Amino acid sequence: MGSLLTGVAILIRGHRQLLILIVPIAIFAVVTQLVGGTLLGRIAIAFFINLMVVLSLQIFTGNSGLLSFAHVGFMGIGAYVSAVLTMTPEAKAFAIPDLYPALVPVTLPFIPAVLIGGLVAAVVAAVVTFPIMRLREAASVISTFALLVIIQVILAHWHELTNGPRSLFGLQPYTDLPTAALWGVIFIVVAWVFRHSSIGLRLRASQDSEPAALTIGVNVVRLRWIAFIVSAFIAGFAGGLWAHFVTTFSPRAFYLIETFVAVTMLIVGGPRTVSGAVIGTVIVTAAFQGLRTIENQINLERLLPFQVVGVTEILLAVVLIVVLTVRPGGLIEEREIFSGPGGPLGPDADSAAKAPP
Amino acid sequence: MLSVAQVEARYGAIVALRDVSLTVEEGELVALVGSNGAGKSTTLAVVAGLHRPTGGTVNFEGTSLVGRAPEDVARLGISLVPENRGIFPTLTVAENLRLGAYLRRDGAAAVRQDLDGLFERFPVLGQRRDQQAGTLSGGEQQQLAIARALVGKPRLLMLDEPSLGLAPTLVDRVFELVGELHRSGVTILLVEQNVRRTLEVADRAYLLRTGRMEASGRPSDLRALVDIESVYLGGGPTTSTADAGPG
Amino acid sequence: MTPEFALQYLINALSLGSLYALMALGMAIVFGVLRLVNLAYGELIMVAGYTLFVLNDSPLPWLILAAGAVAMAMVASVLTERIAFRPVRVNSLNAMLITSFAVSTLLQNAALLLVSPRTRAVNVPGVLSQNLDVGGFNVSMANVLTIIVSLGLLFGLNLLLRRTTLGIALRAAADDFPMTRMLGVRADRVIATAFAISGVLAGVVGLFWVARIGSVIPTIGAGPLLIALIATVIGGMSGLSGAIVGGYLLGALTVGMQLLLPQGLLDYRDAFTFAIVILVLLVRPQGLIAGRSAARVG
Repeated sequence: MGSLLTGVAILIRGHRQLLILIVPIAIFAVVTQLVGGTLLGRIAIAFFINLMVVLSLQIFTGNSGLLSFAHVGFMGIGAYVSAVLTMTPEAKAFAIPDLYPALVPVTLPFIPAVLIGGLVAAVVAAVVTFPIMRLREAASVISTFALLVIIQVILAHWHELTNGPRSLFGLQPYTDLPTAALWGVIFIVVAWVFRHSSIGLRLRASQDSEPAALTIGVNVVRLRWIAFIVSAFIAGFAGGLWAHFVTTFSPRAFYLIETFVAVTMLIVGGPRTVSGAVIGTVIVTAAFQGLRTIENQINLERLLPFQVVGVTEILLAVVLIVVLTVRPGGLIEEREIFSGPGGPLGPDADSAAKAPP
Repeated sequence: MLSVAQVEARYGAIVALRDVSLTVEEGELVALVGSNGAGKSTTLAVVAGLHRPTGGTVNFEGTSLVGRAPEDVARLGISLVPENRGIFPTLTVAENLRLGAYLRRDGAAAVRQDLDGLFERFPVLGQRRDQQAGTLSGGEQQQLAIARALVGKPRLLMLDEPSLGLAPTLVDRVFELVGELHRSGVTILLVEQNVRRTLEVADRAYLLRTGRMEASGRPSDLRALVDIESVYLGGGPTTSTADAGPG
Repeated sequence: MTPEFALQYLINALSLGSLYALMALGMAIVFGVLRLVNLAYGELIMVAGYTLFVLNDSPLPWLILAAGAVAMAMVASVLTERIAFRPVRVNSLNAMLITSFAVSTLLQNAALLLVSPRTRAVNVPGVLSQNLDVGGFNVSMANVLTIIVSLGLLFGLNLLLRRTTLGIALRAAADDFPMTRMLGVRADRVIATAFAISGVLAGVVGLFWVARIGSVIPTIGAGPLLIALIATVIGGMSGLSGAIVGGYLLGALTVGMQLLLPQGLLDYRDAFTFAIVILVLLVRPQGLIAGRSAARVG
């Protein structure tokens, strides 16, 4: 509790910094809602949901310094849980014919269902990731990657809950732009508060110097675990919103490409800060949408003798590599080098004066 | 042979070396002494190409070392035995030594001969030649580290605190060895905290304190300047009574 | 448990375990030298598979095609190091890790774009679908060949790492890279060698993997990647022997799960395998093979 109050206190004092982030976003949302067409409106909703996923990543990765590839999986958990809870029994009979009988009559309102989706994601995260957080850095990152795959396998085979690998359809499009934007802003604040709370501070301290942090009694494992749970909740929540935005999806929507795009958004913007996460999402969403549109146009008008597929992802990958080469801390880097010891020259990562290998 | 002039080195915003200059002529045993954190290891790192200086020059037999990769510095004939000894724990003693000869081009027979000589000088290495180097004791690892450096027939041998962490008898052994090497013609730059023993073997010495060169000259000159007790206490040598006390 | 059953299990476990061990080894070699978890490793298998696909109609004997596929995997491995990883190397481990993820995405989508997003059949030599008679028991040729080739590779690699100077330098670099450089060993050469070996291993695995499935698809590398990752983690990330043991253990575990799980749960085999791995890690976070770098966080 104390750490939350600290965060809120800083929030009130540092409100200017936060407003600089929120106000343009809010204005964008309002303007789009009022005068933007359907297409722009949909892009905006997608943007806010992406933002939530990236923020969830930022809360964990930005503060602990550990990469996680699992968050999109938790988005999937939230999506399916909220879907099962909001669909009418009739819709469920069509879409998930094998659904557990106990769940068929359950129909909850939109936001509570989404909240429960987030909670389930958080609980799963709590159970599964505690052993993972005890692992050394490389092993824990690998484990999150494996976790993504396992969640995928489960979602694709648990047909009593998810209709298996086939599409789940028949959801109500509850997610509109005001909802998405509101929650997007809420989670920006949450991420910001977390970062400045004592948990966030202690986590970041452990990132820079684990032995030193341990000497002042920081229990690194527990902090990482808490950060992961909070971020899994947000990812799950975002999944619930997303499910009721697209209204039709399959487990494939929560796998490698989506993870890649989310990671790109975070890294390009700069994982250390909340503003980095926001800016990264803005830039990559714009780039992604732009490239996709071009790709679709080329295919539609058959400008090239073959179908152009996957070019967007290739270009994004190139952009990501370039950013990592030239400015690895992202556009908004808090310090020169983004966490972890340096390359083969040895652990003197903070020496700017390193001879290149 | 080696000429370091007005070198400045940083770690991020912290200045570790400021206006540091020293020279080593062929055949000399030059010592670099000072207490913990004085910048001795950083100086060696700069010479070895592990740390790029932000100012000054480093020349070895006419060639500039600044900006060179460690591999290239090694190719010029400079060999560094670091503070942690740098032996490869999962490799055997023999494999460690084999890598020491990595740069040699004069044929396996010549290397074999030198290795035999080294096993004579360090019999315990011969006994443990097929053992994993990580299982050796501290003193044995130190011997291995030095032997490995010698196998490369270096023009300049740099030793970073070879007596660190060793029992007193082993410390004796190390300084004996350093003296022997010097007498046999190896050019040595020796970094040490153990000022007294070092000044006994060195031709010349430099005194480093918080990144600056405090004094230099023959051991006899330095002994007159340096208060050895406070060096041992880590407070740094005092050059006047007003400065008594740590730091 | 009949002798036939036991033999089948043993052969299957050894065969699958051999592939898993080779995969884990390829990953561990690069990790040992660079501390990089190469998430693009699975795509090297994809490259081998697509090389075979492209050469489907070639009149050359399959062994030559196979050699070509392995060579392509090796080339791809070394190239990705040169183009993508080397510039990022100075920056940080995380940067390299994410780069590998980007390279993986890039390669997958390149295959998608240049060949096809759909599954493509690959010609497999008939000998691999034959069965062998071993002391009265029926054993699949593919499994036997897998085991023989894998053991041969492991043996050859061991020779390389223990007898050649470059191999010794590679192991030294895994122990202490800066010191290795101070002895005059070029960092770039060691790293390129590690990636080349990794590529060859992936290529061979790719051959047998594609032969098992009979086809190739852009995402074919995802499964092997996951396996390599888990095997390395079980093995303790502390050395090459750990990776090999991890691979064999995982193979035995997977085949065991395949046999033990009831029909309804068979689809979740991988999930169960992973759950067991998590349990192992709960008890022994440093992996099963305690090595020199076996430090855990909490």
